Amino acid sequence: MKSEGSDHQLRVYSDITGLVACPENPTPLVRLNRINPNKGFEIYLKLERYNPFGSVKDRIVKEMMKSLDIKGRTVVEPSSGNTGIALACIANAMGIPVEIAVPDKIPEEKKIMLKFLGATLMEADDALCPAFPSEGARGLVNALVLSPATKDGYVSPNQYENQLNVQAHYQGTGPEIWQQTQGEIGYFFAAFGTCGTITGVGKYLKEQNPKIKIIGVEPSTADHKLPGMKRITGLAEEYIPKILDYSVIDDTVEVTDEDAYTTAIKLARKDGIPVGPTTGAILSAALSYAGSNKGIAVVISPDDAFKYTSFYQEVLNTGFVEAGEGI
Amino acid sequence: MEEQYDLSGFICPISKMKATEFIKSLGEGEKATIIVGDTESLKTVAQELKSRGIQTAFEQAEDNKFILTFTK
Repeated sequence: MKSEGSDHQLRVYSDITGLVACPENPTPLVRLNRINPNKGFEIYLKLERYNPFGSVKDRIVKEMMKSLDIKGRTVVEPSSGNTGIALACIANAMGIPVEIAVPDKIPEEKKIMLKFLGATLMEADDALCPAFPSEGARGLVNALVLSPATKDGYVSPNQYENQLNVQAHYQGTGPEIWQQTQGEIGYFFAAFGTCGTITGVGKYLKEQNPKIKIIGVEPSTADHKLPGMKRITGLAEEYIPKILDYSVIDDTVEVTDEDAYTTAIKLARKDGIPVGPTTGAILSAALSYAGSNKGIAVVISPDDAFKYTSFYQEVLNTGFVEAGEGI
Repeated sequence: MEEQYDLSGFICPISKMKATEFIKSLGEGEKATIIVGDTESLKTVAQELKSRGIQTAFEQAEDNKFILTFTK
């Protein structure tokens, strides 16, 4: 048996990070048949939950950690959960201590997962830091890596400013989508968050075919319940993620929490795919395109439903969905 | 005895978080001093004290440090 590397054909790996998706081992692309009745506008979900730690963030964390000069320091990062989980897993595999600053509004399931993985968890109120309005977790990590008393003990991959976040998608997710659609993709939908996915995939796809439309999806208000998503519209320049490249984006669609959650539940019940609310938001935007456009669309599905059961419970308890409204 | 807490090694929001914990730990009527090392920390810690109805005096010390003195 080979002792090093990855054999995707036999599915044998010398360590867990070998399972992170790449063009030779892509995450699946699945067509939606029942939720989207428009035959002329095919929608495919790119299911990032099939990465080893359960989300699209596995790709960027692997890339960033490869190049991080750790020098015996603790790795610290702000995260709404998925980056933190991937970081904790990869850091554990490397024997490196990790601390994650999370917004206090993320689901309990993600906090439990981070504790389960042994990461030190710091919960930060969104309004904690005036220098990072509505992003207290980012402010907290910034302070840890810059404060004279703590800076020598911490290092942060900084997904908001790290070009490797873009590169992971430019070299991985983008080529995978191009190959899987055999170059026939016409529309790509992704959320604004750190903006690595939309920038990296958008740039790659535009280079293959400039006619491909890249559509960014954002919450309709700054105060929302879509972990990982960011409202870019109206944000002061200094708070927009530095890695966002606006030049690759053709359109921006706003989605409400209600539309996002309803669409995610509808997807589970119509096509049998349990996804997180961010996927619901992005898919909701794609469905709004379906009636008036033709072609093949790919929707990024960042993660699955299991980390959000408490959030879904709140929606289900309202009876809105049970009553069939919006379904 | 007057409590003193030197937070000059921390920038905001860590300085504010630590100051908040410190203020909470003080007893009513207890006099204390917090030292911060930058203007942003001075602003946020002063705001925290004000939000608790605590009157504060501050002075600028050497090395760009600020000393906040108050009685809880």
